[in-house]
This record gives sequence, C-alpha cells and structure tokens, in this order.
Amino acid sequence: MNCPHCAEPLADGAAFCEACGQRVGAAPATPAAPVDVSEEASPFEMTAATRAPGRPTASGPPACLQCGGTVGPDGYCEQCGSKRPSERDHFREQPVPTVAGVCDRGVRKAANEDAMALHATTQAGGRVVLVVLDGVSNTDHSSEASMAGATAARDVLLTPLPSGLGTDTSRNSAVKQVFGAAVQAAQDAIVGFTPEGSDKPPSATFAVAVVEGQRLHIANIGDSRAYWLPDAGPGVQLSVDDSVAQAQIAAGMDRKVAEEGPQGHAITRWLGEDAPDLVPHLVESVLTEPGWVLVCSDGLWNYASVPSAVAEQVAAAGTTDPLELAVALVGFANASGGHDNITVALARVEGTAPAPSPPPASGQNAAGETTVETAPPGETDG
Amino acid sequence: MAEFTASVYQNEFLPDGGTDVNAIVTVQCTGAGSVGGAGGSTAGEVIIVDTSGSMGPQTMAAAKQAAQTAVGEIADGVWFAVIAGSDRAMLAYPQVSSGPGMVQANAQTRAEAQASISRFVGSGGTAMSTWLTLAMQLFGSIEGLTQRHAILLTDGENREDAGKLDLAIQQATGYFQCDCRGAGTGWQVEELRRISQALLGTVDIIPTPETMVEQFRQMMQTSMSRGVADAQLRVWAPQGAQVLFVRQVAPTVEDLTARRTTVNPLTGAYPTGAWSDESRDYHVAVRVAAKAIGQEQLAARVMIAIGDTVLAQGLVKATWSGDSSLTTRIDQQVAHYTGQTELAAMIQEGLAAKAAGDEATATTKLGRAVQLAAATGNDEATSKLRKVVDVDNEAEGTVRLKRTVDKADEMALDTASTKTTRIKK
Repeated sequence: MNCPHCAEPLADGAAFCEACGQRVGAAPATPAAPVDVSEEASPFEMTAATRAPGRPTASGPPACLQCGGTVGPDGYCEQCGSKRPSERDHFREQPVPTVAGVCDRGVRKAANEDAMALHATTQAGGRVVLVVLDGVSNTDHSSEASMAGATAARDVLLTPLPSGLGTDTSRNSAVKQVFGAAVQAAQDAIVGFTPEGSDKPPSATFAVAVVEGQRLHIANIGDSRAYWLPDAGPGVQLSVDDSVAQAQIAAGMDRKVAEEGPQGHAITRWLGEDAPDLVPHLVESVLTEPGWVLVCSDGLWNYASVPSAVAEQVAAAGTTDPLELAVALVGFANASGGHDNITVALARVEGTAPAPSPPPASGQNAAGETTVETAPPGETDG
Repeated sequence: MAEFTASVYQNEFLPDGGTDVNAIVTVQCTGAGSVGGAGGSTAGEVIIVDTSGSMGPQTMAAAKQAAQTAVGEIADGVWFAVIAGSDRAMLAYPQVSSGPGMVQANAQTRAEAQASISRFVGSGGTAMSTWLTLAMQLFGSIEGLTQRHAILLTDGENREDAGKLDLAIQQATGYFQCDCRGAGTGWQVEELRRISQALLGTVDIIPTPETMVEQFRQMMQTSMSRGVADAQLRVWAPQGAQVLFVRQVAPTVEDLTARRTTVNPLTGAYPTGAWSDESRDYHVAVRVAAKAIGQEQLAARVMIAIGDTVLAQGLVKATWSGDSSLTTRIDQQVAHYTGQTELAAMIQEGLAAKAAGDEATATTKLGRAVQLAAATGNDEATSKLRKVVDVDNEAEGTVRLKRTVDKADEMALDTASTKTTRIKK
C-alpha cells in the first residue's frame, strides 16, 4: 500500500506516512463520546440532558483533537504535540444521535467565555433545546457566568412549552412567558457571579432554539445567532442581532462592511447586571423539510455570516451526524483564524410529511416564520 | 536505586512565524551508588599504558606509579586488566593466553597487577588501534559486563596507516568508555580527543610527571562512583518537526546530534554513558511548523532512560505570541551555553589556524574566544587563553598572539576548550 498523499510505500497498519507525515487510513481512535445518561435503565428517564463540562470523559486514553493521536499523561499529543485543551476550553455534547454541539476556545482568545447547554428527549421527533451564551470578554468571571447562565436557561426549558391552548394569542403569550423565565434564570445566574462593586460585571449574549415536533422557537438577545438550514433551498437567519452592525445594515449599509467595521462586534443588548432590558426577540417557525437547526456564537458566523455561506460549509462537511458537523464547523472557524470563541449547536430535523400549513412566504421568511415579539423601540427587527 | 530529574530552561514564546525552539535541559542523578560489590560486579576496567620506546625514564616511572595507584583504587569485585601498549598490545595482567582476559579485583589480584606494572620497559612504536582492539576483546571475554571503562595513557602520536585508528574507534564506540591522558607535549590533542569523544570520555594533558599519580587516582575514583551503567538521553519531537541538534553543554561540550539512534519514528536516543551522582546540561534545538498566535504545543519531550525505562522527562514547549516583550527575550541558560559552545569552537579553530601558520585567522578567533570567555564568566578558559595571547581589550576581543608560547600551555588550552562553566546564579 502506498501513501495517498505522496505515493511513498507504507508499512503495514501505519496510521501515518513515514515520508510526509500525513495521516493515512482510518483514524486510530475516535473522539471520546459524551456519556449518554439515557442509557441508564430507568422507567422515568425520558430525557437526556448532558452534564456540565468538567465531567470525566469516556474511558480509555483521550484522543488528540488536532490529529486523532493519543494524548500522553503529560497532557500533550504523542503524535503532533498539541496541547489537550481543558474541559472548559473545548467540550462536546451529544445528548441524542440527532443533536450535538461543540464549544471551543478558538485560536486567539486566552479563555473560552462561550457557553453551551443542550437537552433532548430520546423518543423520535421529541423535544430539543439548544442554548448558546457568548460571555463578553474583559468582564469579571465571564467564563463561569456564561456557563452558569446557559445551564440555568436550559433547565427552565426542560418542560415542554405550553400547548393545547385555545387561541394563538393565548399560546403565544404563554410561550413568551416561558422564554422570559429562561432569560431571567440566565440573568440571575450571571448576576450571581458579579463581584461586589464590579465596574465590569459579567455579561453575555443569549440564543436559544427549542424544537418541538415541527415547531421551532427561537429566542435571542445580543449577537449569537440561530439559523434554519434546510437540505434543499435557501437557509435563513432566524435570530435578530442586537448589534451596531445590525442597526447599520438596517439603515442601508452593506452587511459585510458593517460586520467587519470597527463597531461590527459592539452589541447593544446583553444579559448581566448592567443589561439594558431582558426582552428577547422571539421567532416561531414550522419545519416541514429535512435540515439543520443551528445556534452559534459569532466565533462561527464571523467567517460565514449570510445563510448561504453557512449552508456552504454545512454542505462541505458532507455528514448527517450532528457532532461530526459541529466539529467540522468549529474546525472551519479555527482554520479561518479562530479569532473568537466558537460555539456550534446543531439539531437534525428529518422533516415530516408536509403538514397542512400556509404556503411559505418568499424571501427571508421562506420557512414560514411569524414574528411573535419584536425588539424594543429604537431597535430594528430584521 | 538511582533517581533522575530533568529541569527545562527555555523561553517558550515564539514570534508570529517563529519555528526554532531552544532549551537547556538539566539532568540530575542522585543515589547512583558505586560499581563495587563483594558478591561480584558487572563493571570492568582496563588500564592501557603506553610502553613505546618514546617514553622517557622519568615519564615511564611516573606512568608505572600512576597505573599502580589506579589499580589500587579498583573496588573489590570489579573485573580488570592491564594492557602494555606499543606497536602491538600486550596483556600485561592477568597473564593468560586463553579464556577470560580479566580478573576480579581483590587484595591479591591488585598486588599481582601492580607487580606486573613494575616490570614495564619502554620499547617499540605506537599503534593505538591495537590497544583499543585488545581492550574490546578483554571486555568481550567476560560474560555479563554491563559497564566497561578504560583509561588510556600515551606520550606520543599514533604511528599507523591512516584509517586503522578510526576503524578501531568505530568498533569500540558504544561498547566501552575511555578517558585519555597525554603525558608531556609529544602527543596530538586532536587524536586523543577523537578517541575520548567517540568513547564518551575525557581528554587532558599531564604536562609534568609529578601530577600523573593524582590524575589517575581521580579518574579511577570517578569511574568507581558511576553506579549507573548506561543511560540514554531520548528526544521526542512532534510529527513533521526536525531536531536541529542535541548537545551536552555541561560539564563539557559534546555534540551528540550525529549519535542518534532511532527508538521510534518520533523519538531518537543519544548515548550518555555511565553516571555517578552528578548533573549534566543538554542543549536541544527543535524546528517545528509555525502555528497561529495564541497556540501552544509541545516541541520536545526530553527523557533520560535506562534500557527501555524512562526515569525522568522534561517538556520543551512552544507558544506563539504577538507580544514582542515575551518573544524577543533569550533564555539566560540558552544564551550562556550558546556562548560556551562558540567559545570551544573558537579556541579549537584558533589553535588550528595558528598551527597552520594563519596568524590573522588565529588572532581573530582567539580574540573572539577571549571575549566569550569573559562574557560567560569562564575563568579557566580566560586564564589559559592569557598564556597564549596578549589581551589588548577583553570586551572587544582584541588580542595579539604571544611570540613565545609554552607548548604545554597551548595543549592545555586545547584540551580544556570543551570544559564549560555553569551560569552564575
């Protein structure tokens, strides 16, 4: 057998080419899979919430995130020498086979201030909750606060959203109340980390997607985003950024110029002690086609902002496994520079038989979105 | 049981695009014990004394006394033999013609060996390859030896066809260690250094016969204190990285780069020979692929191993940073030993140029040596250099070659060129 990269002969069973050093053949070890607590036999265990980072990984020597080699007891890969990140700097979750996320420090930042919390029920077509918080850097305890906030919000959303209410209005109002509670829980957790008399209290963005059957709910504050990316047809950005860039785009500035401008990453709303308000943008959508629900921090969308650019990267990854796809998207952001923390949370939606639903509108609202709640006065709701 | 520790001194910060990582690794051995043992030892000593016709009566008398002193230092149970070397090698003790060519030391065998040495008479030429080859055969005649050490004393240069000595050195490399001493000034520093470097030993001049006994006593005592038979320095470097060099830099400069043997595709082993309770410093340089600013990776694992057991490990790291206050700093230890390595080269090249009559090159190189010796605080090198050159300005390295130089001083400078000083803390 010869190396597929440089055509030099290979030793039997070699995992790397002796001549060019490239990996050949199958990876010797797969990344440690998160423990799926749904495996525990309990008649009451209907859900599969993942645990907080810091948990021990699955047994066996850990695999290097860079090359798949074995990480030595000294914490460095025995093949490529890469340092194994701490559990906070890089963690992966996959509560059920169709839902997964990766939260990564990126290349340039010294700490991972992004946070992620996932929840999914095990039965087919069950509930999925994806929570992403992006801790604002240069604030106190940003990393711990964002993690606590994400977990708190996820825990509020463990119970199904209200349904079966008589009218859309009453249902919408009930849903709004639940998301309000989730935001408040995250807010309380973040404020809990604020040191006495801090002049830079911890703060974070907030982005949540809840999938229940065909129904997708999005809630967000700040500039972490939610996208719906159907396998066929154009994708849409469902969340609405609270950012200077978004305001400039609404005022007519080119998206690229605005997002890459000096104020491109200045957010206008956030969670934290000094939060201007706590009213999330709420969006609801009905999903009938197969595709991906993606919630991510700006560490990803910095390099693929418009839905078509994200969809291009999803297509390039060529996988239907959400963890593989999340790893690929994080890898893409790191390869593009990795200037910020990167969080990618994904839920695979297989679609159902076309439900009797109103024909989709054209353009950005192709997925049949209806805006439930808009931004406060002065803000532009895309 | 001996214990090893490894400490790493380096500046791990590399600038954007930086690829070369330098580190000094200090390896310390404690609890080495000694080679002796009443119940028998697996160590062997061979004493080789030049008995060619060139040995003057005074030198010969001193050499006999020195060799007898060395025999007296051999611990009970250690296997030993004495070779009288001229244009061929004679097994002076034990006087056997077949079977094992070494005996275990005890009061009786030491006395017999000393009596044999007292009968040495100078005659014949000098064929060092035969001495080394016989030493190999003697060590080979004893089964189960794990530690083999020889002391070689000569007063003259080798008189053999070119290549014979090199071949003998090559065969002995990795088999036994050898400390070499030159008596008087009629021998070649370069020749003995070739033997001692390949055979992981030391070389020095014994300018006057009076000091010979003491030198031999010390050499044998050092050898007896080496309770760790054979240790390897191992260097792991990541996939795609290149080990630029591996040098011992203290107590002497010895380039080990070419002595690498493969442990596995990413790890090489370098011989370090036997250890007593001591510490040695190694300079390791590795070239890695540059990563993005903020990334950290391991550039090398430097290990000390006996057999296949790794006893200590030091980690050499690389972190890419945009902060020039971090990346422009050169580690003090790395700077110090880089200077000491250049000092050794300048002395050797300067003396070689002087011998070849190229006074301009000799003046420049020895001038640079004076400058480096002063800058790195190597007082021994400074005092030895001052016997060979007149110093006009130490800081700038301007010197004049002395018109008359004692040959012994020049050779002493040459043999001491690889000795380094540790950094002043």
